[in-house]
Amino acid sequence: MKKMIHMAATLAVLAASSASAATIEMNVNGLVCAFCAQGIEKRLRKLPATADVVVSLEQRLVAVALKDGQDISDAELRKALTDAGYKVIGIERSDESIAAVRARVKQDKP
Amino acid sequence: MMRWSLRIAGALVLATPTYTPAKPIAFADGTTVMAEYGAGTMKEIQIFYAPEYNYSLGGGHIEYDSVETPASQSITYLRLNYLLHRWNLESAQANIFVWGGAGSATGNTFRGAEFAGNAGAQADYETRRVYASLQTDWEHASDFSHRIDTLQLGLAPYEHDYDRLATWLLVQARDYTGGIYRGTEWAALLRLFKGGAWVEAGVTNEGKLQAMAMFNF
Repeated sequence: MKKMIHMAATLAVLAASSASAATIEMNVNGLVCAFCAQGIEKRLRKLPATADVVVSLEQRLVAVALKDGQDISDAELRKALTDAGYKVIGIERSDESIAAVRARVKQDKP
Repeated sequence: MMRWSLRIAGALVLATPTYTPAKPIAFADGTTVMAEYGAGTMKEIQIFYAPEYNYSLGGGHIEYDSVETPASQSITYLRLNYLLHRWNLESAQANIFVWGGAGSATGNTFRGAEFAGNAGAQADYETRRVYASLQTDWEHASDFSHRIDTLQLGLAPYEHDYDRLATWLLVQARDYTGGIYRGTEWAALLRLFKGGAWVEAGVTNEGKLQAMAMFNF
């Protein structure tokens, strides 16, 4: 019983953490040109939970801002990127706003 | 010069013959419109749609003018471009594309219209600083047969990002069979693109213009 309560609590924390993520950042291989970015952005903007998208070739980064209270699973994101022709290496969720991600990416440019 | 192949890519788009563009398929659910003028030996317009990232369908019209003889041909065609394999590397991408098509050809060395078939392939490797592609495009009808092999090597003076203009300097070598041009034609090209717009222009070793414009949306 104790174990079940602990598991339930852990799941609740994970769910809350996922739901509160403002932005999902993906490290993507094969990002070398504007067409790559254009195709990925077009694909991700079709997902109903997507509020905004930032693509940085320099950082090999694709960031998705979520609409309030909505989420996109890792599996959905990987499928979207695979269907666009690219390979997702890593996915990270954070509370950072998409504006902050955009500013960080710009700041990191050489 | 280019024959109906080359462009497409991109999403089709880009594609075909004469000067090979970057890729015959641009991106999934993307439409590509392209126009090209190749050193007095070819003129072409194309439109392609890519339902998925690995294939595109479309059509176009190409006109070939031989610089060696008075022969010329016009071909209106439908074409399928297919991405055979892609390698997504950490800071690079490599692709192998193949394509095939069929159309109706007319010319000044034969009467009426005849069936024309097209097939080609392209291998490319690209980082944000280096570009290399090798393409072969073959077009055949009962009264003519052309094959154009194109090698492009490019260097970007700076690494562009999505929101920044991309600039490429390219050297191109093209070899023709079928009487359009004798020997290997060299060209120096400047390629610019940003977002879905791409323009490219340059001159051949004979001082002739080669130019292309492409839009992806």
